[in-house]
Amino acid sequence: MPIANTPTTVPVVVDEGKCIADKGCTVCVDVCPLDVLRISDLTGKAYMKYDECWYCMPCEADCPTDAVTVNIPYLLR
Amino acid sequence: MVFEPFEDENDLEDLDARLSDPDPAIRRVAVMGLADTADPDAIPLIARAVADSSADVRLQAAIALGEFDGLEAATALCQALQDTDSKVSKTAADSLAELKDPKSADPLLALTNHEDAKVREGALLGLKQLRRPDALANGIEGMKDPVTAVRIQAVGVVGYLKAEEALPALIASCRDDDPEVRRTAVGALAFSKSSHARDALLTALMDEHWAVREIAAEVLGKISTTGDGGPLIPLLDDPYWQVRVKAVRSLGKLKVTAAVAKIGAQLEEQTSNLRKEAAAALGEIADRSALPFLEDLVDDPDPDVRKNVRWALGQIE
Amino acid sequence: MDDLRAGLNEVECDLLVIGGGTAGPMAAYRARKKNPNAKVILLEKANVKRSGAISMGMDGLNNAVIPGHSTPEQYTKEITIANDGIVDQAAVYKYAQNCYGIIEELDQFGIRFQKDENGEYDVKKVHHMGTYVLPMPNGDTVKKALYRQLRRARVLISNRYMATRLLTGKSGRAAGAIAVNTRSGEFLVIKAKAVIMCMGAAGRLGLPTSGYLYGTYENPTNSGEGYSMAYHAGAKLANLECFQINPLIKDYNGPACAYVAGPFGGYTANSKNERFIECDYWSGQMMQEFYNELQSGKGPVFLKLNHLHKDTADHIEHILHTVERPSRGRFHEQRGTKYSEQMIEMHISEIGFCSGHSASGVYVDEFARTTVPGLYAAGDMASVPHNYMLGAFTNGAIAGEHAVDFAAEVDHDEFDDAAISMEQERVLAPTKRDDGIPPNQIEYKIRRLVNDYLQPPKVTAKYELCQARLAEVREDMNTQMMARDAHELMRSMEVASILDCADMAAHASLYRAESRWGLYHWRSDYPDTNDSDWKCHVLLSNQDGVMTCEKKEVAPYIIPIAEDEKDAYYKQRITAQA
Repeated sequence: MPIANTPTTVPVVVDEGKCIADKGCTVCVDVCPLDVLRISDLTGKAYMKYDECWYCMPCEADCPTDAVTVNIPYLLR
Repeated sequence: MVFEPFEDENDLEDLDARLSDPDPAIRRVAVMGLADTADPDAIPLIARAVADSSADVRLQAAIALGEFDGLEAATALCQALQDTDSKVSKTAADSLAELKDPKSADPLLALTNHEDAKVREGALLGLKQLRRPDALANGIEGMKDPVTAVRIQAVGVVGYLKAEEALPALIASCRDDDPEVRRTAVGALAFSKSSHARDALLTALMDEHWAVREIAAEVLGKISTTGDGGPLIPLLDDPYWQVRVKAVRSLGKLKVTAAVAKIGAQLEEQTSNLRKEAAAALGEIADRSALPFLEDLVDDPDPDVRKNVRWALGQIE
Repeated sequence: MDDLRAGLNEVECDLLVIGGGTAGPMAAYRARKKNPNAKVILLEKANVKRSGAISMGMDGLNNAVIPGHSTPEQYTKEITIANDGIVDQAAVYKYAQNCYGIIEELDQFGIRFQKDENGEYDVKKVHHMGTYVLPMPNGDTVKKALYRQLRRARVLISNRYMATRLLTGKSGRAAGAIAVNTRSGEFLVIKAKAVIMCMGAAGRLGLPTSGYLYGTYENPTNSGEGYSMAYHAGAKLANLECFQINPLIKDYNGPACAYVAGPFGGYTANSKNERFIECDYWSGQMMQEFYNELQSGKGPVFLKLNHLHKDTADHIEHILHTVERPSRGRFHEQRGTKYSEQMIEMHISEIGFCSGHSASGVYVDEFARTTVPGLYAAGDMASVPHNYMLGAFTNGAIAGEHAVDFAAEVDHDEFDDAAISMEQERVLAPTKRDDGIPPNQIEYKIRRLVNDYLQPPKVTAKYELCQARLAEVREDMNTQMMARDAHELMRSMEVASILDCADMAAHASLYRAESRWGLYHWRSDYPDTNDSDWKCHVLLSNQDGVMTCEKKEVAPYIIPIAEDEKDAYYKQRITAQA
């Protein structure tokens, strides 16, 4: 059985201009309980890789540069 | 294949080196790493970052110092509190409020006279949590400060110390121009058994701001002795229901029989919170003259009111 | 990151604590304080900095037994009554005696409780019975303060390791655990002389009505591993049929926070703006009333604050939007709802296991000991009822101190190495398939079946259908589940726990042939409470591979409850029918 790629809009948005993951910061990736954030090999910035967000907000609250915004997942809005 | 399963042991040397990196973002990340170590040896390094040329790094240092305690951390935070960048000084004040070690108070005591009101406010905020008796004079002086936010924190310092000798100053603050200062000062009188405190509370019952009247009614209920709540009765005519609720509660607690008729009148109020508290208070007073009021309400649409009516009727019988 | 790597490491310690949320950090901290020479490992699936039910904070205590406001005896009585008498009081009483000391300790940690202007705890009276509510308007600092203490106490912290099975020694004692790294799939075997499980609720059992897998009441990392692992290790689990169901903000699935709004005069209302809850206790009875009102012509149900002064309503809104679940503010902003202006629609949560709010947990005594020697449990997954956050801290402390003493008296128990290779094989099976079903689809199906068949009212025939369907899904899981990276592997293991919990929920519910605990165990074909046959615990366990239930007598009360005290409560009872 082949696996499909179903698109989904993710709630966590990272402002790449503010993100300092490329300087060694891993705060948002560290604090996410669901472990859904990663740092992109391409851009060096953080992004949401897995659509499994509890919209709990440590990533936003603990980000030193206010680069992270957590939106409410579309299904709940 | 072997791998390390535990969180990194602290590498202060490496973090120290990165603290000198020309890139401020890298210095900032280094400060975050220092905070994570929870190692007291990291404090002097973070203290260095308090003087960094980048405001972002200084801000991070002010956050990081909140992870530590004691004289050394407090001293560095006091420096951050005086930062020209308002975000840094605000954050330093928040971190100061986290301090628990009484020794942390030393540098703060020297800052309550600082020319900058933000610094005075932050220093008093830190002192409040630490409850050092020798901060009383600083608190009393701060209660005369021209800046409202400073006066609020100063009342906090004095209120936490619960010292009878500060009573005149607290009573003076109950007449402050600012309602939040008055509210805080009135609340702080709860520790005192003196008649002067009681007089100030009675005056506060007539304050022009509802939140002051509300807390005065509550505190009076705490400090008065049973039966001794007569002055609260006029508050049952207060235009604002949240004030009347507190008056009703205190009157019930103090078992003021003379208030039964006026509490009974509250049972006709639309706001069910008030009906509920009035029924409960009538139960606490447990006087038969309350029966007609309560009997009217056994079928109130609000279950909390019904329950309290039922309970009150039981208390009376 | 996430690419699968082969690896197996082994470490040894005196005490292993699994779960770094609330109870776990306190257990590890107290163990180190009691015995500074003990090697204590704290294992966490996420990161201890922000893990568990209180990852973002907590807005108050609702079971604080503080001298001058309530007594341990009074609290023990109330919990006994709230849990319909099915309580071994020793553990509740011990909690009640110890929790004030814990509050003082947390205060020293820098966790801020609401204080009056004299710096005294500002305890709020909510109803006639006891006074137990202590707000934490700055409760967003809880985890930060805990982490700081763990680092200072030099607890060995191991983040991003998910324990999958306990190791049992040849003498039957707990001997450690096997864990898998959630970002690499490497294994870690931890040999320990004692193990404390603090792995939280089974919060990913039912499916939220939104259909979003992660829109749960509980932190979805709490997917029931503790319950599943305890079961497979042979521990007994108590009263799993006493489900957790909570009131919440509709769609948002955040807590309703009646305890935050209550002291200010906020309340739960029906669509006629009227209060309707008769029950004074947070209990299944209260949830039954909530459910009935939702289904009635006066539904739905709302959180009502708009009768309060705008300053008061705004103040409550500020607390609710800053602490515990701060994204709530963003939710209301998008909906255009303001607490000071309109009532906020509420609903009930999906089902789960959680002793923190109800009573479903791994059976423990007053020292947090499970029925397996050397194995302890604390927090939401242990059976001390209505325990909440403060119970997790307090019983975590009790567990940590008892277990570290136990560990000092014994040697490591030998275990069979075959257990490790077998477990590696089980865990890695989904990674060996090139084709199959991804874990999220299997999870969705299990949880959809839970909603269709297991949520109350409980009907025997529906339960039996569910068991048959779940068995089919288990077959799919065992033969077709596929994980492409370490992250998906973690989800696969969670799916296995969720399925175990669903099976246990069905089995325990069918065994107790009566209704009890209001909505939590409302069996429509046995609608009455039957004290003569069922005023007892139901213990579920694994007997030679067969899920088995047995009755266990409630321990004699140490705080007797007079008939008229019981009456005061039962007078409030209403019938289950909606």
